[in-house]
Amino acid sequence: MLEIRDLHVHYHPAADDTSARPVRALDGVSLRVEHGEALGIIGESGSGKTTLALALMGLVRGARVHGEVYLHGQRLPLTDEASMRQWRWLRIALSFQSAGSAFDPVYTIGEQVVEPIRTHLRFSREAAIARARDLLRQVGLPAERFDHYPHQLSGGEKQRAMIAMALSCDPELLILDEPTAGLDVLTRAALVDLVLRLRERTRMAMIVIAHDLGDIARLCDRTAVLYAGRMLEIGSTTEILDDPAHPYTWGLVNAYPLITRTKDLWGIRGLAPDPADPPRGCRFQPRCTQSIEECCQKVPSLGEPAAAYGKNQRLVACHRGGLLTMLSVDGLRKVYRCRGRQTVEAVRNATIQIREGEVVGLVGESGSGKSTLARLIVGLEAPDAGSVRFEGEELAGRRLSELARRRIQLIFQDPYEALSPRLTVMELIREPLDIQRIGSRRDREDRVREVLAAVNLPTQPAFLGRYTDGLSGGQLQRIAVARALVLQPKLIIADEPVSMLDASESAKLIRLLKRLQNERGMAMLFISHELALVRKVADRIAVMRNGEIVEFRPSHLVLSAPRHPYTQSLIAASQALLAPMPMTLVSDERSLVHS
Amino acid sequence: MTETAARWSTVAHQEQPETKVRLRFPRLFWLGLVILLLYGIIGLFAPVLAPHDPAAFDGKPLEYPSANHLLGTNDIGQDLLSEIIFGARVSLLVGITASAVSVVIATLLATIAAYMGGWIDAALMRVTDLLIIIPRLPLMILLAAYAGASLATTILVIGLLGWPQLARVVRAQVLSLRRRPHVNAARLFGASAPYVIRRHLIPALLPILAAGFVTHAGHAAMMEAGLAFLGLGDPTMKSWGLTIRYALNVKGFFFGDQWLWWILPAGFNLAMLLMAFAFVGIGLEAVANPRIRRHR
Amino acid sequence: MGTVGNEQSSPNAISTTSGLQAVVAMVRVRWLRPVALYGFTLWAMLTINFLLPRAMPGDPLLALVDQESQSFVRDENVRQRLAQYYGLDQPVWRQYLAYIGHLAHGDLGWSISQRAPVLKLISIHLPWTLLLMIPSVALSTALSLIAGVNAGWVRGSVLDRGLVSLFVISSTIPAFLIGLFLLLVFSVRFGWLPLAGAYTPFRLYHGVLDQFSDVLSHLTLPMVSLTLTMLGRDFLLARSSMITVLGEEFMLVARGKGLSERALKYRHGLRNALLPVVTRFALQIGTAVTGVVLIESLFAYPGMGRLMFNAVTARDYPLIEGCFLIAGLAVLVANIVADMSYAWLDPRTRRDA
Repeated sequence: MLEIRDLHVHYHPAADDTSARPVRALDGVSLRVEHGEALGIIGESGSGKTTLALALMGLVRGARVHGEVYLHGQRLPLTDEASMRQWRWLRIALSFQSAGSAFDPVYTIGEQVVEPIRTHLRFSREAAIARARDLLRQVGLPAERFDHYPHQLSGGEKQRAMIAMALSCDPELLILDEPTAGLDVLTRAALVDLVLRLRERTRMAMIVIAHDLGDIARLCDRTAVLYAGRMLEIGSTTEILDDPAHPYTWGLVNAYPLITRTKDLWGIRGLAPDPADPPRGCRFQPRCTQSIEECCQKVPSLGEPAAAYGKNQRLVACHRGGLLTMLSVDGLRKVYRCRGRQTVEAVRNATIQIREGEVVGLVGESGSGKSTLARLIVGLEAPDAGSVRFEGEELAGRRLSELARRRIQLIFQDPYEALSPRLTVMELIREPLDIQRIGSRRDREDRVREVLAAVNLPTQPAFLGRYTDGLSGGQLQRIAVARALVLQPKLIIADEPVSMLDASESAKLIRLLKRLQNERGMAMLFISHELALVRKVADRIAVMRNGEIVEFRPSHLVLSAPRHPYTQSLIAASQALLAPMPMTLVSDERSLVHS
Repeated sequence: MTETAARWSTVAHQEQPETKVRLRFPRLFWLGLVILLLYGIIGLFAPVLAPHDPAAFDGKPLEYPSANHLLGTNDIGQDLLSEIIFGARVSLLVGITASAVSVVIATLLATIAAYMGGWIDAALMRVTDLLIIIPRLPLMILLAAYAGASLATTILVIGLLGWPQLARVVRAQVLSLRRRPHVNAARLFGASAPYVIRRHLIPALLPILAAGFVTHAGHAAMMEAGLAFLGLGDPTMKSWGLTIRYALNVKGFFFGDQWLWWILPAGFNLAMLLMAFAFVGIGLEAVANPRIRRHR
Repeated sequence: MGTVGNEQSSPNAISTTSGLQAVVAMVRVRWLRPVALYGFTLWAMLTINFLLPRAMPGDPLLALVDQESQSFVRDENVRQRLAQYYGLDQPVWRQYLAYIGHLAHGDLGWSISQRAPVLKLISIHLPWTLLLMIPSVALSTALSLIAGVNAGWVRGSVLDRGLVSLFVISSTIPAFLIGLFLLLVFSVRFGWLPLAGAYTPFRLYHGVLDQFSDVLSHLTLPMVSLTLTMLGRDFLLARSSMITVLGEEFMLVARGKGLSERALKYRHGLRNALLPVVTRFALQIGTAVTGVVLIESLFAYPGMGRLMFNAVTARDYPLIEGCFLIAGLAVLVANIVADMSYAWLDPRTRRDA
């Protein structure tokens, strides 16, 4: 019903401003909205969402608009003000973003709702007033608001009035620009309910622009993701939010604070591009963790995602077909023979995937096979069955010294054991570079200093020259992390990295790992028996039991709605530890005095 | 960038540092400056430039322009050209001096008010409001009538009544500057009030004061002309306003056509000088306040 | 106070129970503060009027009755009246009380130069000034709003830039120069309009229409001069406030609603641009008063300005003071009118503080 074809909106600088380049607010957006459908548009501030809304109404001033927009097959005269006037409000209506300043302060709400009714529908004054009153009632405003001035209404009420005004001429397409911005949670929920009811009643096509994913999830059938004026992904809302394909969408969705989400909020590293000077090629490339040469050169167009994602009319603009699965473990099996005939199946049919830039938490009790799995992935042991594919290459059975191995690093549980007491700090961290013969000695030492700074350890010669004797567990573990970083791995496996540290050091190390992971675009497999820790950093959680992975889902779902009974018991056990301490030793006299 | 584009890109979270204000004065500014300098030279070198002493009666009354008297003479035989040339002196002198008085008073009062706050600030603001409401010319007339007509009186009267508007602007600026982090930082380092004023406030205020000074000088010159026209100016200083007054006082003046070279030059020069002050003032204002610049 | 009824019906307004309480509350909030301010201003003007001559070096008032001084009043009769009015032999505070007392009775003193009560003279001259000022202010306001609104609408265009240049220049030229220019062109050069006065002296009229046209022809040049004097600043203010309004979000919304250019420009644009214009009315009236004094002096128009001009020439202190008071009063009244208009125009002010 609504079809947008290759819409460009470029703001050109003032004639006397020769140094500035055009600001490319929208750079080739195409999409369709069907009759009765609600399409959501998400993206950061500055991604072009509001520009899109304004462009559809022909309200962008001072910019050049290219491309075509069709409504029911008729082309919108976007650049012709006089013709556009007949389309506005009557056929497309926009509920503006800042309802607070959207109303003229010197006229009543009622007058302003009546205005477009009389202009477009040519009602008589009485009929228009009646209709306006009815609209205000429909959006849940008390009757007297009709005669009130904008400054007498609250934010939520003004937003409702805005929606009522937008509906006043029965448009074919309604655009809602940030309908719940700045409102409190309760008002927000009420407003979303309102919009849902209106949708049911009118069945009009809607475009909902928001950066609040919760609203989008409730309101929209399909969602498009906008970034720096381009569309990166479009598909059904549930798929986009539950299983995002594009790396940006994934980052955005994961940064969103859900009430069930326990991990800390981390944004996407880097900054949004300067709209006047965007990067060549893919706009997201500077912040992407999986970019290749082609991403810097060529702009990706919307196409089908990689096979790993559902094909349900989803389109992604990524040269690599969406977020890649970096590590894919399939049906891994390891059997230990001990004392003659006895066999222990340490790892049995383990299947797990880790995506680019992701943190997967692996939980399970002691003896569940977590560490064995780690060692199998890294290559310290060879599996008896199954495959380990890393960046497409099969690693199982390959020799440890091979190049591919360098990109996966392991951080051991016991820092005292993992670091040789005979080497100085400098030598310890330099060791991987020495072994691989990378760079000159000077280069290596510089790299060592750089990673030491990254883990917040001193870089003075005094520290570099000392032995590990006397350093705390936390410091040692940091040195281990630094050593792991020095080869610039893509995947870090941290096997119970904090179990030997006290609570304070543990907290600091976990934050450090997460920060490094986020900043350097690494993926991480975080192994621990402590669910409470894992949930602070993990995007997805895998639960291991008796060598098998019994549950592997997004972390907020695992914690709020665990499916496997074992997971449920794990969670229950963790919560039992939180039971309030019984109040003992409070004498009656004391309580009387203090009550 | 256009205003819309500028608005758009702040939405994009760009950490754009405050770019240095581009000192691009509008063309009119330069024109005004040239004119002002011209009049300044004329006024300064008036004794040299004028062919006659304006007070000397060396011509026949109401003469037509001749080689000796390029603009003819007035009703008591004084050379008109010399009168016009010396008139520049008066206008510039009064304009600049009165404006200086106003600016000094305005800055002092405004800074004190903004710094002290409390009832001092409130009291000063009431006084400012009062002076703005009370009509200026009648009050000046009252003052000038009582104080007698002399150059000093004129300057004082205009200067003492011209400060309220500038004071408001300066006060607003000082208040906003005080809240800026760099000023607070200085105070945290133990800086005293005079230091803060000297180091942080005055440099920030200078552009506004400069613009205000020039604009006020124009107003002062206009007021002087008005007062002289009404007969309240110094009778010994032949300002352009006074020249016009004397011309109009001559009985049956308009039956002849002496007004062509008596009134017109005086009026024209006065208008030119005032316009020059205005152009320079506007140019300075545009640089001092970038927000206004975007509106033009 | 027609808004009292509205306030009572909307729950957002004063949260008082009875209607009477509401009225009292509103009076206290809405009227007391401005009344206090204007009352204070009035009192300040009176006191300045009083203190000024007495604070001057060389005591000009005493000089009136001092035989040695230049401004000694020869006429015994007048001198006695002055001494009595000013109470020059009394201590200052008594003089002040007497002064306030006189004002309360409408006694503004006795004019030295014209040998008549000041109040009577004012009552003769004030109507002429009002005849000149009110149409000029109205005309200037109306023209500046229309021009300013349209200039702001087409901001940056040739028309806009031309108008701005024109009015920037015109706002720097003092009233008497504008008047002088018009006088020279239309009266002296072309002789279309009379040189001076409000009516042709000694003329016998053939009826009301004849008188009316005579007055009108005399009024034209002064009125046009005054209008042009004020037009510059009024236009620039109207234009800049229109530009501010145009940048507001609700203008974009109104355009989005598909309203016509006219509705946008006037119903939403002008209506909102009016507010700053009304707020600045005080200053505009100040310009008008200044202009009136200068223009009436130039055209020998028998209004308050001319009266003040003559009084100054004659150093007629009582008359000067009287004119000053009236001028101040006029500005105060204009301010009050402006405040009331603003309250009516801007619904945001109707709300309780």
